[in-house]
Formats: sequence, C-alpha cells, structure tokens
Amino acid sequence: MSGAPSLLWLLSPRLLGARGALRRGRAKPLVLGALAALFWIACFLGFERTLAYFQTITALGPILTQRLLVLIFASFFAVLVLSNVVTALTTFYGAPEVNVLLAAPLTVRRLHQVRFIESLVASSWMALLFGLPAFIAYGVVYRAGIVFYLGVVATLVPFLVIPAALGVLAATAIVLVFSARRVRDVLLVASPALAAAVYLAIRLLRPESLASPSGLAGFAAFLADVGEPSPWLPTTWAAEILIPLLGARPGEPLFHLALLASTAAVLYLGSAALVERVFLRAWSRAQEGEAGGGRDRVLSRWLPKLTAPLGRPANLLLAKEVTVFLRDPGQWSQLAVLLALVVVYVYNFSVLPLDDGSPLAAAMREMAALLNLGLAAFVTTSVAVRFVYPAPSLEGRSWWVLRTAPIPLAAIWRSKFTIGFVPLAVLAEVLVAVTNRFLGVPPGLTAVFMATLLLVVAAIVSLGIAFGAAHPRFDAVNPAQIATSFGAVLYMMLCLALITVVVAFEAWPVSRLFWPPVAAGPLGGGESALVGAAFGTVTLVTSAAFVAGRRAGLRYLAALEP
Amino acid sequence: MIRFLHLRKAYGPTVAVADLDFTIEAGAVFGFIGPNGAGKTTTIRLMTGLLAPTAGTVLLGGHDIGREPEAAKAITGYLPDHPFLYDKLTAREFLRFVGGLYGLGGGELERRAGDLLAQFGLAERAGELTETYSHGMKQRLALAAALLHRPRILVLDEPMVGLDPQGTVALRRLLVELAAGGVTIFLSTHSLHVAEALCDRIGILDRGRLVALGSLAELRAAARRDPVDGDGSLESVFLAITGAA
Repeated sequence: MSGAPSLLWLLSPRLLGARGALRRGRAKPLVLGALAALFWIACFLGFERTLAYFQTITALGPILTQRLLVLIFASFFAVLVLSNVVTALTTFYGAPEVNVLLAAPLTVRRLHQVRFIESLVASSWMALLFGLPAFIAYGVVYRAGIVFYLGVVATLVPFLVIPAALGVLAATAIVLVFSARRVRDVLLVASPALAAAVYLAIRLLRPESLASPSGLAGFAAFLADVGEPSPWLPTTWAAEILIPLLGARPGEPLFHLALLASTAAVLYLGSAALVERVFLRAWSRAQEGEAGGGRDRVLSRWLPKLTAPLGRPANLLLAKEVTVFLRDPGQWSQLAVLLALVVVYVYNFSVLPLDDGSPLAAAMREMAALLNLGLAAFVTTSVAVRFVYPAPSLEGRSWWVLRTAPIPLAAIWRSKFTIGFVPLAVLAEVLVAVTNRFLGVPPGLTAVFMATLLLVVAAIVSLGIAFGAAHPRFDAVNPAQIATSFGAVLYMMLCLALITVVVAFEAWPVSRLFWPPVAAGPLGGGESALVGAAFGTVTLVTSAAFVAGRRAGLRYLAALEP
Repeated sequence: MIRFLHLRKAYGPTVAVADLDFTIEAGAVFGFIGPNGAGKTTTIRLMTGLLAPTAGTVLLGGHDIGREPEAAKAITGYLPDHPFLYDKLTAREFLRFVGGLYGLGGGELERRAGDLLAQFGLAERAGELTETYSHGMKQRLALAAALLHRPRILVLDEPMVGLDPQGTVALRRLLVELAAGGVTIFLSTHSLHVAEALCDRIGILDRGRLVALGSLAELRAAARRDPVDGDGSLESVFLAITGAA
C-alpha cells in the first residue's frame, strides 16, 4: 500500500468485526430483529394515531404537527449530545486502538476522521433506529411522496453530525481540564440517571391517558401551549425542512437544509481543527490515572468484620463485591435505574382506578392482584439482569484469582447465588407486600405470593448466573453493556416464560382459595387435589429451573476462559 | 513434586497439548520453553485448574488437580502471564482477599502481606487502587499474592515480562532462594538466558509436544551442539531442536 491509508481501510477492522459477528451468530440477529420489529410497530402505531388525530383539528393541525416534530428532534438531540460526549471520550481518548493509530504514520486529521465516523455511528444508530418509525408515520399519515423520505435522509445526516461534532468538542475540552477517568465515571452515572429521570417524568405524566380521545386532546393542548420553537436551534430547522415536504403548510425547506448543513459542516471542521491542534496533549492527559493516598481505606477496615458471620469464602467474596460495587460508578448508575423502576411500579398500583365501586373496578382489582405476582417477579428479573447476570463477566479477567485458589467451584457459585438472592428476594417480597396493600388483597393470598416469589427469585438468580457465565462479556466497560447483550435478552425471555407458567398455574387455585367471589364454598375432594397439583407443579417447575440453572452455572463457570 | 500423567488438551481437531508425561522433582527449577503458540500457557492453565484436560492429569505435591483440586491448589502459587487484578481494590485489600481465599487471616496475614509489599517495593503505594498501577507493579503484586501462603510449588508464566532490570535481578535471586528452601518452581519463559542461568532441567514444547527434556548438557547432546565451539547456548539448542535454526 502506498501513500496515506484510505478512510475505508482504517475503518476496515470495525467493518470486518461486524461482519464476523453477523456470520457467527444466526439466532442472535433473528431475535434482536424480532424485538426491534415489535418496538418499531408499536412506535409507528402510536405516532400514526396521534398524527391522525391532529389532522382532525383543522385550525391547529399544522402547528401541532410541527411542534410534535420539533419535540421529537429536540428529544433526539438531547440524547444524542449526551451519548456523543460519552462515546467520544472513549473513541478518542479511551480506546486502546488509538495507540495503534497514533503509532501509524497517520495525520491527526485522518485520525479525527476515522474516530469521528466511529463515534457518530456508535452513538447515533440507536436513535436513528428508534426515530425512523416516527418519520415513517408522518409520511404515511400525510401521504407524502418520495421527496419527503429523501428529505428525511438529507435532514438526518447533518442533524446527526451536529451532536457528534459537539460531542468531540466537549470531550476534548473536558479531557484537557479534568482526568478522563473521572469524567467518564461522572458521565457513566449521569447518563442512566438522566434516562431514569426522563422515564419517571414520562410515567408521572400518565401517557396511558393518550389512549383515550380526551387524553389526546390534553396532549394537543399541551403542545399548543408550548411556546413557538426558537428559530436559532437545529431542531427547529430540521422540523422546518420536513413540514413543507409533508404538505402540512408552506415553508422554506431548502433554506433550512442549508442552515442545518452549514452548521454541521462548521462544527465538524471546528472539531477537526481543535483535535488537530490539541490531540496529543489531550490524549496524554487522558492516560493519567487517579492518584490516591497511601492510607488504608475505611471500607477495608469494617467490611470484613461485618461479613465475617457468613464464613469463608462467602464473606470474602461479599466484602470484595461490595467494595468493588461502591467504587465502580458504572454500578451506581444501575441503582438509579432500579430506583426509577421500583418507584414507577409502586406508583402504577397506587393510581389504579379501583375505588369507584364499579364492576369494572372490581374486575380490575382481581386481575391486578393475580398479575401482581407475575409483575413483581418480572421487576425482579429486570433487576437480576442488571446485577446477577453481569456478575460472571464482571469477575472478568481476574477470574484466575478465584479459580486457582483452593475453593470448590460450588462454594464460589453459592457465594454468587447468596449475594444475588438475598437482596432480590427482599425487593420482591417488599414489592408484593406493599402493592398488595394498595389493592386490598387478603393477607393469606399475599402470604402465598410471597412464598411463591421466594421460589421464583431463587430460580431467576440461579438462571442469571448460568446465562451470565454462558455469555460472558469481558470487554464491557460497564455493567449496562452486559445487561443489554444478546445473552441478557435470552435470559429475560426465559425468565418471562417461567413467570408466565407460574402465574398460569397459580391463577385458579389462589382465586379459588382466597378471592371472595370464587372462594364461596369449601373445597371439594377433586378441587383439593387440583389445588395441590397446581401448587405442586409451581414448586416443581421453579425447583427444576433452579437446579438446571445451578448445574449449567457450574458447568459454564468451570469453562469460563477470560 | 509435579507429575504430568499423559496430559492432553484438544479443541476439536486442534491438539493444543499432546500427551505430556514427565516428572519434576521437589525443589527443582524447571524451565518450560517453546515457540509462540506451542501450548505453554495452555499447559499451565491445565496445571492450575483453570482448564479441564481432554485426557490425563497433573499431580501437584501428590494431589491430582482434577480429583483433589482444593488440596492441589492450597500448596501452589500461580503467576499468570497477564496478571489482571481487581482494579477497584487496593494492593493491601487484594492481598487480604487472596490470603483469605488460602485460609490465612488475622495478624499473620497482615504481617505476611506487609512483608511482601515491602519486599516487592509496593509498601508506599499499598493503599492505592491497582487500576493506577503500571504493568510491572501489577506483576510484582501478583507475585506477592502467589507467595502469600508460602506455596510448595510455584507456577510462573512469563514472570520477567514487564519487570525492570532491577525487578528481574531481584526475581532471579528470589527464585534461587525459594528453590533452595525446597519450593518446586515451574517457569515458563521466553528469556532463554534466564532459563539457562536458573533452571536445573528444561523442557521444550513445540506444537503441543514435549520435544526435548533434560539438563542443558543433555539438551546440547540431543541437539549435538558443542559448547566449546561457542555454539552450545540454550538459544542455539532451542533453535536446533525446534527446527528454526
């Protein structure tokens, strides 16, 4: 090869890696594709319904259409800027392959081009994927022609470049001022915490009310109340390109496209100029570690004492896991997500319309009580996928420390199980007890649910260790990456199937035993046998899942090769 | 004493380690050398219980690593080629954790950890997270952890990589002292001059097979290299035996 290598050549390791990954797994793209398709359809239907409604409001329709589009672009923009800063910190100042590029006879400008594309793709593909159904819904509802869809593509390219360039500029500035590790830690916590806050805010706005015509009218009123979008923002320009192309109202799409494209170009060149000028200095600073004192840490003094009653090696592993957890900001962010999940869960039950005395309310109460078992188990699974499933991967390349120590693998498994089971069981029990109180469920039924949940959580944790060990991700920077991997999706699906089986088998016996409308008379001989068989089946299925999970867990842990 | 009993490891049709069958006496320093990809690290992973063999086994101090893994591991210290540690633990916390895994505790563990940290020049930074350590410092800390429980067998995979010249000299001295104290040392290395200077016996692994075994003199004889001609270094013997000369 002569001369400077082309961009495509420099990107080839990434492209070849992606091709290899696609070739290796056939089931993986299929499952992920099916899930993405489901999400797409749901998004598309939601937007289509909202836009169709807006069209019925003759006077306000075009304004609402524009405001919603600005809102969509604004939401994407906020997410994209944040994710681009985090990604740029890694792709420009954290990734080990930058060493290879730096050592190669490449100009910094070429290095900027390669890393910029990688950063842009890594942080934008998901927003693009989730955003497309909205744009397609616009096209379908307004019966737009091919020009609209070409307009979407022409708009999205500069629209994605702007946050990517801002991300590179911000990341470079941040690295020059602070230690990269410290900044990455803060962003690792801030991003999911922000996502959790947005999730909470959306839930507290009660989006389910949009399913009714009065709810949609309320949303329309909310959009109409939002002030005129600022003409200085790229989000407004992007919307102003597409509205006229939809035929909603006249406008100047080419002018706004020129605004968007020229801003993207200026920011891209600005990021290139800054990186060209300061890259080596910023890269060097980013490699500086966190300096610490030589003193003993507080944690290491009291944790071993607190965990001593557990006995070896559980106490050692627990002390180690807690220490690592408290010092790893990637893990704290998981707590923010967990907290949002629990708050929304309890809130959902507190706002169920169960007290209006109508037959519908009574039926809903009955159904909610029965489903509560499954929902509590499902929430526990969501937590397990973030804390139990990543455990084998987080042990990572330090696995040799445990495996070469004179401890049976079963003891390591037991420790991992206990560390996962105890907090998850407490969470599930508290969730079901509190929400059952909201629902006015008889205490006997709550007790049955709590007992069932202990079995289900044991199975969930056991399966979590097995799946986590079978699909390890030693390359993951933080647990969130592990929790969203292919193995995690499979694990969630299996847990969901298990929960469905448990709820299906318990639905009839608990209704018959505890629910006043059904539990009117004493149990007949045949009924007693059926109730016993149903509870027996639940115990059998969950125990079988636990045992299978344990066996598989031990097998995969033994074969774990970081 | 270490005994390899027809040890074999295959990944499908690829044989990584083929029928290793030999003994290393107690207190010996055994050099294990071979070209890249010869199967040295796989052998070590099989010895230390990190991998299950396809056939055969290894006895460490008379304990079968497959059947009595805890007993075998309790008397063995291991230093991997890439010593990944727990980034979020300090050096002292790491030694406490490892010591606990080997049944040490209390004042004895604290004293032993303190001594080793001082011996390996890590005492001043013992309270810092290991994520801030250089490769050489991590190497020294992992070695300290391997010695913490006073093992009878020490398995070292490329211990000199990442060490500065002072560290290398200190490690060589330490290995001689340990061997003199009866510790059996299994040393996998690419540093042929280190193997030449330290090892009582040397095994050469090539494409998973042990192609030569013996003292340097025996290896020279096998390779028909005469030291008087100035051509009897381990390097030339190695190249002759592995067919690279």
